[in-house]
Amino acid sequence: MEPLAGLLTGFGVILTVENLYLCFLGSLIGTLVGVLPGVGPLAALALLLPVTFTLSPVGGMVMLASIFYGAMYGGSTTSILLNIPGEAASVVTCIDGHQMAKQGRAGAALGIAAIGSFVAGTLGVIVMTFFAPAIAAVAIRFGPPENFALMVLGVVCTLFMITHSPVKGALMIALGFLTATIGIDVVNGRERFTFGSVDLSAGIELLAVVIGLFGVTEILSNVEAVVRSTVVDERIRGLWPTLADWRASWVPMLRGSGLGFFLGLVPGGGPVTASFMSYAVEKRVSAHPERFGKGAIEGVAGPESANNAAVAGSIIPVLSLGIPGNPVTALLLGALVIQGIQPGPLFITQRPDLFWGIVASMYVGNVFLLLLNLPLVGLWAQLLRIPYRVLFPLVLLLSVVGTYSANKNVFDLWVMLGFGLAGYVLQKLKYDLAPFIIAFVLAPLLEQSLRQSLAMSPDGAMIFMQRPATALMLFSSAGLIALMFRRRSNPRGESS
Amino acid sequence: MKKPMIVFALLAAFLAAFLFALSAGPAGAQEARAKLARVKPKDFPTAPIEYTVVYPPGGGMDVTARLLAKHVEKWSGDRIIVNNRTGGAGMVGHAYLATQAKPDGYTVGVIANLMWGDAMLRAQNRWAYTDLEPIGYLNSDALTWVGPTEGPYKGMSIREIVALAKEKPATMRAATVPGSMWDYVLDQVEASAGAKFLRVPFQGGGAGINALAGGNVDIAQGFYSEFRGLADAGKVAPIAVASSERMSFLKDTPTMNEALGSNEYLWNVIRFVVVPKGTPADRKAYLRATIETAMKDPELVAEYVKAGVYFDPKLTDPARMEANLNEYAEREREFYRKTGRLK
Amino acid sequence: MFERVLNLCWVLLGATAAAYAWTLGLVGPAGPDSGLFPFISALMIMGAGLVLLLQPRHALVAPDLPRGAALGRILGVCAGLAFMAISIPFLGFAVSGFITMIILLHAVEKSGWVFSVSLALVSVAAVVWLFGRVLGMPLPRGPWGW
Repeated sequence: MEPLAGLLTGFGVILTVENLYLCFLGSLIGTLVGVLPGVGPLAALALLLPVTFTLSPVGGMVMLASIFYGAMYGGSTTSILLNIPGEAASVVTCIDGHQMAKQGRAGAALGIAAIGSFVAGTLGVIVMTFFAPAIAAVAIRFGPPENFALMVLGVVCTLFMITHSPVKGALMIALGFLTATIGIDVVNGRERFTFGSVDLSAGIELLAVVIGLFGVTEILSNVEAVVRSTVVDERIRGLWPTLADWRASWVPMLRGSGLGFFLGLVPGGGPVTASFMSYAVEKRVSAHPERFGKGAIEGVAGPESANNAAVAGSIIPVLSLGIPGNPVTALLLGALVIQGIQPGPLFITQRPDLFWGIVASMYVGNVFLLLLNLPLVGLWAQLLRIPYRVLFPLVLLLSVVGTYSANKNVFDLWVMLGFGLAGYVLQKLKYDLAPFIIAFVLAPLLEQSLRQSLAMSPDGAMIFMQRPATALMLFSSAGLIALMFRRRSNPRGESS
Repeated sequence: MKKPMIVFALLAAFLAAFLFALSAGPAGAQEARAKLARVKPKDFPTAPIEYTVVYPPGGGMDVTARLLAKHVEKWSGDRIIVNNRTGGAGMVGHAYLATQAKPDGYTVGVIANLMWGDAMLRAQNRWAYTDLEPIGYLNSDALTWVGPTEGPYKGMSIREIVALAKEKPATMRAATVPGSMWDYVLDQVEASAGAKFLRVPFQGGGAGINALAGGNVDIAQGFYSEFRGLADAGKVAPIAVASSERMSFLKDTPTMNEALGSNEYLWNVIRFVVVPKGTPADRKAYLRATIETAMKDPELVAEYVKAGVYFDPKLTDPARMEANLNEYAEREREFYRKTGRLK
Repeated sequence: MFERVLNLCWVLLGATAAAYAWTLGLVGPAGPDSGLFPFISALMIMGAGLVLLLQPRHALVAPDLPRGAALGRILGVCAGLAFMAISIPFLGFAVSGFITMIILLHAVEKSGWVFSVSLALVSVAAVVWLFGRVLGMPLPRGPWGW
């Protein structure tokens, strides 16, 4: 069906009281889930899946999808205000977002995050509307070698996020890789570093690490200082982004949208990878990279746009091919199957009402979320007025619940505590924590893709040169590393 | 002020009548619900019952469990929560059910026969498959070989593919899930035909089939629900089924046994429900009854059939189910001994 | 001093992990085996640790570790979290959380008794309601059923 006609059909489907209500409800729940540390879209979708049984297929899918991208709006809130990520895709927003909050510019940061999310989400849906089948046809060709090259690019991007000693940064990355290998080797089923423990054989839960390393660490660092009574030292200066903020942000928003959309398409990408690659890109192309880490608004605009665009990107393979790229979209797929609908390449022709209904709902949902989040900026900024000694126990309580919600396993709470302590000590010794997380996230797919690629290649490592997309990405990675060395060796270049 | 009240009262009356009509249902349903009420223990359940699925949400096993939960809730009135305990390709969830879950009737596992492999090969004597007692059979799914619809191997039958793999060893890329029946089938084919495939590891059948559709592997294996969407769209094509008879929804696809002239290619996933050993007998009997009642619901059966499963006649009789399941388990243990995986 | 010890730990960690990874096997018939990736990572850790260990004295970071009251607060938070992790399976989330919040509010941050107890009560109740009812995620119950 022709895109514009399809879109009209979609709007016809979505603009009913019931569907609009469900879209709004999903947006609300998504925002809430994004704000709560630890509980992410996956947990929320898994919990609310049974609710969709009683709804129509369109209604159910619209609600679930809006929770997914709604969480990307809400995730930045606690990142900016408390330096505690709402979920893994908002970790990088902490870096510059919280610095802005400490400078009294929480309102601007929250505002740009919301608007960037809206721009990216809407752009993503527009591209989806017109190019979904074509894009899907290309995305399906992405195989293990391409995944590997992409992960290598991701690791190289991580190098740009090291602010202190490069040796310490490299150590953190290596530690992230090593920690990710704890568990069962997916390629041949053997246990690694588990020492007979059932809990360890599942691997270390990402959520527990994120909450521990960024949440508990932050709380410990703040609790230590008795002088500060509230989070923010300065008075909150205005709630809206200034013209200067706009000028600085609009290009990162567009860049983040493009990057995020592409990364959402490929399996192993998704909002998490998109957010920190966007941060690295912004830092790399900036004229003044030393501003990053001290409250550069580009460090909020880029990643927050990227993670929203990634949602749109990741929904395309599900709707156009029936192929999920990450656990959340796998769940969306399952929801369709339970409703008796078979997703696949024929989905768009067999159920145009459902396909276009979901697409149309994403336009509407993004509008809802913008209208929901912008007024809340003022409310959230008031949160900073609460004395910290009252705030942090509540945040800790929520962190415990959030972490527990991942696997319902108390072991994760110990992981959270352990990483929290470790992060606290390491931060005092000037170690960067973000590279650890990124390496931890990328390592499994990096290793798996490498071994899959070598297994499927009769010519061994030559496969990486034989496939054009792979070769291109690997050359880019090499080029980026070379550029990094040139900057470092330049005597007038910034210090590292 | 009066008019709204009248409207409201009318609506309420209508709603009440509607709900009453809904709850009455056909006479048979009343009978089934009454039978369940008779078997229900006095103080059970007072909290939601947890159905544990050892695979990620949205996958085939998860969908099976959620459909079951939906219907069990309908018939028994109990609240059921489906919970996913993932990790290690099911190992974490199986170990949890066998060793950590409280046998109080509130934890129920919806699992597959893949559990036997975990118990026999990877549990390291921490638990055995007998620690999980089956209380209901759901359905079975036969492993199907799927081939490409583009490229040099398109349209080939399984005999041609195996012959090619023998002629040019280590050139055909076959998707596999290490340490499970995917590997075993490839082992069998390679051993009996003298062929050699280039094995590419994936985390599940679905991932391998997606890779096939993208041209990244040449042959994949999976279950009907995993490849149906792509097959209907002509991106992949089923070429052989590892079952004893042809599937009713894949009439033109031969079984591996008939195509390759053997009787050893029988690999399927059997989905069933278990409780940890030690669950009190009355609660176990009640849970069993709820599942049997749900499985008699034609709606549930229809939903399962749509997913492309079949119902193994040896397991559909509740009286003989446990014995036959254990027989299958021991047959698998024999296979491991024969192939040297188990000492 | 502290940092030197830490750097030594990195080297030891790297070395033992590399040894363990070696036993997993580095290369198998189908390319890299289970141990290769951890082996390389462990070597990197060891290498980085060595470089840091051999730094000249002036490059070391002297961490300002907390003393006195600050140390007490840090330990209090850790103790609170540890308490929750230990007691949730036995006491259930509600009671465990309530006790922990009181510890954190009163003992660690010296808020008044009445304030601590009432805030703890309200917060725990709100969280249990939010997750248990609204989101439908059952939190662990204690022997008293909630």
